[in-house]
Amino acid sequence: MALLEIEELRVGYGFPVLMGISFEVEEGETAVLFGLNGAGKTTTVSTIAGMLKPDGGAIRFDGSDIAGRPPTQLVRDGVALVPEGRRVFPALSVSNNLRLGSWTRRREQAEVDQRRQLVFDYFPRLAERADQAAGTLSGGEQQMLAIGRALMSKPRLLLIDEASLGLSPALAKTVFQVVKRINDDGVTVIIVEQNVGVLPYADRALIMEKGTLVFSGVGDEIRNANLRETYLGGGSE
Amino acid sequence: MGGLFSERRSLLIGIGATVALVVFLIVVGEEKSLVIGLTQGSAYGMVALGLALIYKSSGVFNFAQGEFGTVALYVLYLLDIKGNYWLAIIGALAAAGLMGFATERLVVRPLFEAPRVILLVATAGVALLAIGVELWFADAQAKPVAKAFSRNDRITVFDVQITDQRLWLIVTLAALAVLLGLFFTRTNLGLAIIGASQEPTATELVGISVRRLSSFTWVLAAVLGGLAAVIAIPDLGSFGPGAMTSNYLIPAFTAAVLGGMTSLPGAFVGGVLIGIIQSVATSAPLFQDGGELAIPGVPSTLIVFVVLLVVLVARPQGLLGKRA
Ligand SMILES: Nc1ncnc2c1ncn2[C@@H]1O[C@H](COP(=O)(O)OP(=O)(O)OP(=O)(O)O)[C@@H](O)[C@H]1O
Ligand SMILES: [Mg+2]
Repeated sequence: MALLEIEELRVGYGFPVLMGISFEVEEGETAVLFGLNGAGKTTTVSTIAGMLKPDGGAIRFDGSDIAGRPPTQLVRDGVALVPEGRRVFPALSVSNNLRLGSWTRRREQAEVDQRRQLVFDYFPRLAERADQAAGTLSGGEQQMLAIGRALMSKPRLLLIDEASLGLSPALAKTVFQVVKRINDDGVTVIIVEQNVGVLPYADRALIMEKGTLVFSGVGDEIRNANLRETYLGGGSE
Repeated sequence: MGGLFSERRSLLIGIGATVALVVFLIVVGEEKSLVIGLTQGSAYGMVALGLALIYKSSGVFNFAQGEFGTVALYVLYLLDIKGNYWLAIIGALAAAGLMGFATERLVVRPLFEAPRVILLVATAGVALLAIGVELWFADAQAKPVAKAFSRNDRITVFDVQITDQRLWLIVTLAALAVLLGLFFTRTNLGLAIIGASQEPTATELVGISVRRLSSFTWVLAAVLGGLAAVIAIPDLGSFGPGAMTSNYLIPAFTAAVLGGMTSLPGAFVGGVLIGIIQSVATSAPLFQDGGELAIPGVPSTLIVFVVLLVVLVARPQGLLGKRA
């Protein structure tokens, strides 16, 4: 049984956007979701995290149907989303952003301290800026904080929407490497990307076009399949 | 954005302005106004605290803030007739909290996604409804309300007696400003309210129900409104329908604007400043009968509007607030 199973998922905003997509992600994998602007990537991960209610289909997480559960419940169940645009709490310090990230575990102080230490290990830059207001961080630092905040809830499935948007190639690579470490530490990851530089870190690739899934592959398939030329417009890294 | 630094700087500006005003008033011999203003302004500050709290979390100016207080007064009046005064106070605060809860459930929550101006008008509706109910219940007659502390001559500053009741108000307000400050910087719940006011989506994503936070905030603000009323009004001896709205809402709003609308210490300092400015205006020769700007009976009301306009035009982010 895969950790996440999506079956014929249909979602819209009064008009249909996802036209019945199906895919699976195994426990321990890093899956990358590609697609041009407007393909429906954000809609997909937002629905998995409970921000949108599906019009049809099933979302099974660890065997149980989670479609329609609110995000406040899903984060307790082990699904965390780093939303598009980062959405850090600008007026709060880095520390306090992380503290709110651990809301669902706020009664387990030892666990919270341990998680914070882990986040600071992944992103030493955040430790240096622990008392700085999040709104004054650079874009890259905000991205790190958004990922760190999501990790504070100790998720089993981490969804990251646009990990590298607006980051320099070098910083994007750093973020991908940390995501790889997070994955190695046992967290299943789905990462929405437009940057094919993420491919070396991925176990599975999913490609969307206009609300449908047009490619799904694992392992060597995704490195040999000439994904770039076929689906991604042959863009550069 | 404004980090900690600029917040500190704003606070220093506020404190500096206050100290300058105090020194100025003592030099020109208006030190009595200072004391009268402080006592009056504390009540404004407490209502302003509730306004800032709601504005901080819902982005709306709450026209019903005054009536949370008036309703508490009626409950105090009813319960105090037979029974323990302090229990009556607790009952009054509970009634205010209940009204805040109901307002959030029945008015704010259904309008969660609506433009803020609609919500603003809706809170005015709540205030009008409350005043209507009060008129129906009590006619237009003033009701007496007893003080918690009756001694008047314990403390005298600059020849002005500060009644024990007023002292209670000042101490409560100062304590509340400090406690709320700690609440919003040190506790999970306080941080969550700040977070939700700016990033509701992210707040839900970390597992916090924004709707539940909203209930909590409205109850807290309503209890503050109730507290302001049951402490401040007894000094006047009686009250009538809409008492808190007509006497306190506009000065408190001005105080909150002066303080930057979202700043809790700002609401506190703003309230005291408005109180002082008002009492100077009422006693200054310029505004007295025969003075050049004499308008019989209304200088204190007039001056509040003048301050409000000046602040809105010259420094809309308030004395302690940050530029948006
Ligand atoms: N809140 C909304 N209301 C109405 N339509 C929406 C909304 N959000 C997204 N859409 C529409 O749904 C479609 C898919 O949008 P989505 O944000 O999922 O795309 P995306 O793949 O994440 O694109 P991008 O790469 O630009 O982030 C688009 O046509 C978009 O206009
Ligand atoms: Mg998107």
